[in-house]
Amino acid sequence: MPFISPRSWPLAIKLSLTITAAVTMVGFMIGAVMVIQNWYRFHEVLGENAILLAESIAITSPKAMIRKDFWSLYLSLKNMSSRTSELKSQQQIISAMVLDAEGKVQAHLQPASNPMGLVFAPENEAEEDLFKQAMNARVPLVLSSGGYSSSGFLEGVVPLFSDQKYLGVVRVRLSVAQLYEKARYSAFIVLTLTFFFVIAGSVLGTLVARRMVQPLTAVTQGLEAVGRGEMTEFDPIPVKRRDEIGRLSATFNQIMAELAEKKMLEDEVAMSEKLVALGRITAGVAHEVNNPLAGLLNCIDTLRKHPDDKELIGRYLPVIDQGLHRIKEIVHNLLVGLKIEEGDDHVGIDHIDKLHDLMIAEIGDRDIEIIWENSADKNLQIPGKLEQIICNLLKNALDILTENGTVIFRMYQRQSYLIIEVSDNGPGIPSSIRNQLFDPFFTTKPNGTGLGLWIVYRLVHNMEGVIEVTSGINAGTTFHVAVPVISKQAA
Amino acid sequence: MRAFYLLLLFWMIPVYGVDNRPPIRFGLTAVVVTENLRFLDQWSEYLSEKMGRKVEFELRKSYQEVMDLLDAGNLDFAWICGYPFVQSREPETIELLSVPEYRGAPLYHSYIIVPQDSTVKNLGELEGKVFAFSDPDSNSGFLYPLALMAAQDKKPASYFRHTFFTFNHAETVQAVSERFADGGAVDSYIWEYLAIFKPEITEKTRIINTSPSFGFPPIVSRLGVNPSTVHLMKTTLENMDEDSSGKALLAQLKLDSFGHYTDSLYNDIRAMANKIQRVDAEFNQIPSE
Repeated sequence: MPFISPRSWPLAIKLSLTITAAVTMVGFMIGAVMVIQNWYRFHEVLGENAILLAESIAITSPKAMIRKDFWSLYLSLKNMSSRTSELKSQQQIISAMVLDAEGKVQAHLQPASNPMGLVFAPENEAEEDLFKQAMNARVPLVLSSGGYSSSGFLEGVVPLFSDQKYLGVVRVRLSVAQLYEKARYSAFIVLTLTFFFVIAGSVLGTLVARRMVQPLTAVTQGLEAVGRGEMTEFDPIPVKRRDEIGRLSATFNQIMAELAEKKMLEDEVAMSEKLVALGRITAGVAHEVNNPLAGLLNCIDTLRKHPDDKELIGRYLPVIDQGLHRIKEIVHNLLVGLKIEEGDDHVGIDHIDKLHDLMIAEIGDRDIEIIWENSADKNLQIPGKLEQIICNLLKNALDILTENGTVIFRMYQRQSYLIIEVSDNGPGIPSSIRNQLFDPFFTTKPNGTGLGLWIVYRLVHNMEGVIEVTSGINAGTTFHVAVPVISKQAA
Repeated sequence: MRAFYLLLLFWMIPVYGVDNRPPIRFGLTAVVVTENLRFLDQWSEYLSEKMGRKVEFELRKSYQEVMDLLDAGNLDFAWICGYPFVQSREPETIELLSVPEYRGAPLYHSYIIVPQDSTVKNLGELEGKVFAFSDPDSNSGFLYPLALMAAQDKKPASYFRHTFFTFNHAETVQAVSERFADGGAVDSYIWEYLAIFKPEITEKTRIINTSPSFGFPPIVSRLGVNPSTVHLMKTTLENMDEDSSGKALLAQLKLDSFGHYTDSLYNDIRAMANKIQRVDAEFNQIPSE
């Protein structure tokens, strides 16, 4: 699976990931704080317990020390130790001792290695330091082994006084091993809870994110449908809430409904326009065909009455011929205009230049000049229909001109478009009829069929091109045609 | 026949009737392992039944306390050590009642013990060390080691680095076994008793000196106690080995029986005490509660 940039991930995934990350971070931060707090609390309690145990020994110690009742002292240490080890959840006593003012052992839990009556002998420098601190203590205090090792300890130190005379000190040392175990256990509990909390939070976050994003996804899909023009097939987004997303969904549904209605109206308008155009064509065909038909029928009727009148035959036959040709021309042009989609052949661009000669022949002895500028690529292949377009436009221009006429033909490429411009210096097109220029059977010429520009329009439109007209009264007319030939050739 | 039942009734009244007389008070000291309270209940029940009167044991920490109670008339009988028995009192307040027989004789010893892994072989090597005594009025736990030292012209106060009293032979064994003390003096009867019931303690000790035999700690009666009660107590004790429940109690005490002996059994102790009294009165650091 290729890597997809997070920027393009679905919002539902990003949102749920963000919520999950946030929940995880918060969860583990709270967990860590709890674990640390627990550790300090346990530490504090252990220190207090060490002091309490030392205090319990200190209560009877001065009396026993004065009476040199070392056995009682030792027994009280022993009893404390065995009592504490019986209570399983309690701390473990590593060592306990009673020292006199000179540091001599009065009683020690490990009497074998700490003989009674001798000055307490610390094992190492750290112990020596603790021993000094304990001997200097005049108020109860907690000493620590320092560091965070499970072999560490906390020591409760309680100085002994009798009648304000310093007698010595009680030292009770508790292992932090159980503290570690407790802290580890509580950390395990907290982290397990946090883990489940994170999972629950993530699931909830994902659900919430999906719920929140669902309407947005629907809106996006709706907008995409609008882009494809399929707004009528859009199912309204269910609106379950009244928050921003609910309002957005409702508004979107409303917009979509209005757009669908508009599209329907547009379709109806387009349909009625089609019908209008069809009516216009039908009427035009009827009118254009009917005009010569009346004359033709008249001629035929006269000829039938005077079958032997050679002069009449000689006069009427050309009229009938002309009328029939006109009908043929109309029908042909109509067919050309209606069947344009069938031809899709391409020709070389030199075909266009041949039109130049054809037009010069068309001009004959009229005082009209043609300026021919073809700067398009000589190897370009163009749709065959372009020939018809240019021919029609040139013929139109020549038809409108009388004396001192100039027709300018320009053809060039701009980006992927081939641009054709046909200008004349004729009288121009009145703005009142400019809207009807491309309508079928609309003509200003006495013998025109009104189909030439209609065919041009149809062909340009069929090629996905654009046609524009610029014209002014006595300022001539220019037709601009742009068709995407290059891309077509490439394809 | 009627007269017989009446006689029987009168005979039974002192035994089973409501007895308003004060109980017989029997003092016990560290000469027995006194922690076994259930045993003491059984023994007092046994004695009460035999004596036809309630017998209560009184436990005290030191011999001194028990002797004081005897002197004050607050105890009727007591199981004490030979040393307080031979100490002279003016006027005399106690007399010998009965002596336990242990392993065939009314005798026992004093053991000088050291920790099992100690290199010490005799009392002389304990100089400068910590020594545990049992009770300042104990023969085996104080008088004998004192006499041993006196024989070498030594005084405990300067001889040992530290000494202390445990007031309990069993605790003296414990102090030595746990190396709180480098040596100690105990009653052989107690040490052997512990060797049976708590071998894990005695295994950690080693006997480096066994004293000559001494008269076993005796049971005494207070002068002034009704002679018939004294007599009844004496026969009750000395007949304990003749009934099964008495035998069971003796077995628990690890004693053979109680027997009648004369004062002369304690002459050795008396001689030793007389010698020591001249030695030193300065060493008398007796902690008292």
